[in-house]
Amino acid sequence: MTAGRLLGVLLLALAGLAIWSAQSLEVAFAADPLGPRAFPTTVALLMALCGALLLIPRGPDFDWPERLAAPPLLVLVLVSYALLLVPLGFLLATILLASSAALLFGARPFAALATGLITSACLWALFDRVLDLPLPKGLLGA
Amino acid sequence: MMETFAALGGGFAVALQPTNLFLALIGCIIGTAIGVLPGIGPLNAIALLLPFCLALKLPPESALILLAAVYYGSGYGGRITAILLNMPGEPSAVLTTLDGHPLAKQGRGGAALAISGIGSFVGATISVVLMTFLSVPLARAAVAFSPADYVALIAFALSLLGAVGGGSAPKAWAAGCLGILLAMIGIDSGTGVERFTAGSMELLGGLDFTVLAIGLFAIGEILLLIETRIRAEAAKLGQGQRLTLAEIIFCVPAMFRATGIGFVIGVLPGAGASVASALSYTAEKRLNESNGKFGQGDMRGVAAPETADNAAQIGNLVPMLSLGIPGSGTTAVLLGALLMYNITPGPLLFEQRPDVAWGLIASMYIGNCMLLLLNLPLVGIFARLLTVPVWVLYPGVLALSFAGVYAASNSAFDLLLAVAFGVMGWAFRKLGVPLVPIILGFVLGRMLEDNLRRAMSLSDGDVMALLGSPVSIVLWVMTLAALLWPLLARRRGVEARAPGV
Repeated sequence: MTAGRLLGVLLLALAGLAIWSAQSLEVAFAADPLGPRAFPTTVALLMALCGALLLIPRGPDFDWPERLAAPPLLVLVLVSYALLLVPLGFLLATILLASSAALLFGARPFAALATGLITSACLWALFDRVLDLPLPKGLLGA
Repeated sequence: MMETFAALGGGFAVALQPTNLFLALIGCIIGTAIGVLPGIGPLNAIALLLPFCLALKLPPESALILLAAVYYGSGYGGRITAILLNMPGEPSAVLTTLDGHPLAKQGRGGAALAISGIGSFVGATISVVLMTFLSVPLARAAVAFSPADYVALIAFALSLLGAVGGGSAPKAWAAGCLGILLAMIGIDSGTGVERFTAGSMELLGGLDFTVLAIGLFAIGEILLLIETRIRAEAAKLGQGQRLTLAEIIFCVPAMFRATGIGFVIGVLPGAGASVASALSYTAEKRLNESNGKFGQGDMRGVAAPETADNAAQIGNLVPMLSLGIPGSGTTAVLLGALLMYNITPGPLLFEQRPDVAWGLIASMYIGNCMLLLLNLPLVGIFARLLTVPVWVLYPGVLALSFAGVYAASNSAFDLLLAVAFGVMGWAFRKLGVPLVPIILGFVLGRMLEDNLRRAMSLSDGDVMALLGSPVSIVLWVMTLAALLWPLLARRRGVEARAPGV
């Protein structure tokens, strides 16, 4: 499947979803002649048109990554960070995030751990001590 | 004329406050640094800094001075990577590699860096002067715009995305539509109806601009970078002959031409710094065919694209400030930043918030002087940034992205949303979809709908009212041309190729 066709299908599905969702809007009173439905529906139709244009097969095949595992693994790390930030606290969670990301970028284990420790400590010093921004304290209480 | 000088004086009073001077300096340093680093551009950097500005409760004029300094500072950084590594630090520095890297190989890297730094300064400063005198007249002309005229203007700005963005026009337009639809998420201000929230409480207030920008551009970019192994090479400045005064004078005409090209291209919506630097390089090459050694290390081949690049960046700010219509991705982010401060750029900005508008313009005079001083003697320090391993740099950027999102909203849900947009940004880049239209659509979408509904209210639902004034008719004709151009151009087999960011 060419990249363009894949995208066309994706866009058509998204546009369909948007149109369906817009049509189901219940409007109690209309403050203006157009209402909340017409504009998003029109835009979604335009997007569907673009999607349909992309269905014409043309262009190269989908370009699979050189390192197939790295992007999904990084996404996994990022999602874990989002879920663990509040329970673990900024310092611990950021050590985990930066170390695992460094590993995925090809650092040696020890270097990755050092990167994690230093990144986390520097950012914490900057945000908590210098800029006084609210960061989750978590397990360490800091 | 006198009025302009008085207003500019007021701007300097704002820009010269110690905090604002300090922020401009910080912005210039960050801007040059991210310009040097490939993969991180002004757009990502501004998206990263914006939540911190909000969390620190910086006043809007200070935040804009900082963010804009990052923006125009980045124009000074891209050339360093281009000249030393033959790899553009920013997409707009592609042309600088052509003559810059040969010069570096001849041992004249230092001279090439100096002339491109001077060119950047000349282009940016002349453009700031032009901006000083053009902004208010342009804003005055736009005060008379009716909602219907604005609908046409925004439609025109969006339609240009396909014509000049390079790559596939339907993809750019689809991305613009998607951006508009993303802007519709949340409670509709006109009727109080919830749109596209899927029942989620967190989405009632609409998508946070910073979450979208950081997700698409910072996280998405890093997902793209991690796919391939990037090798870092050592950079050398070169010990050859230093830049001579004669060489500077030799480049002056090229710099003036490049400033003109850059500024005009910059003011037009849609086209950006990449187009400007490419055009000015080609123009110099054609003009000096007989006495040039372009491609083998001509000083003018370095000066021209860098001058045009910086002139275009400043030119891009003109429609953003005067009309409230951004012409590029980065100015869209700057506009989004102002909207988050409840400030609407546009015709009334210069009257209602002269401190913001003129403070910014005045700070750009100061910032460009700072950048010249920073970039001539300290270029070696910035060049050393290229030796930082990727596995230190990008984990740090990721941590910074998340800290910013969290600091601005205190919500873990926003972190998840940012990851989701990161995945979307990555997938779209893989599928050849440009991301800038999404952010432009997001910023302009709500404006477009508001103006459209206002126009329909005024005309009692008569669609023909959209063509009610000469201005709107001209703009719609131009929109139609912009929509048809890429389709016709392709039929004739013209394939435009431009960098994706």
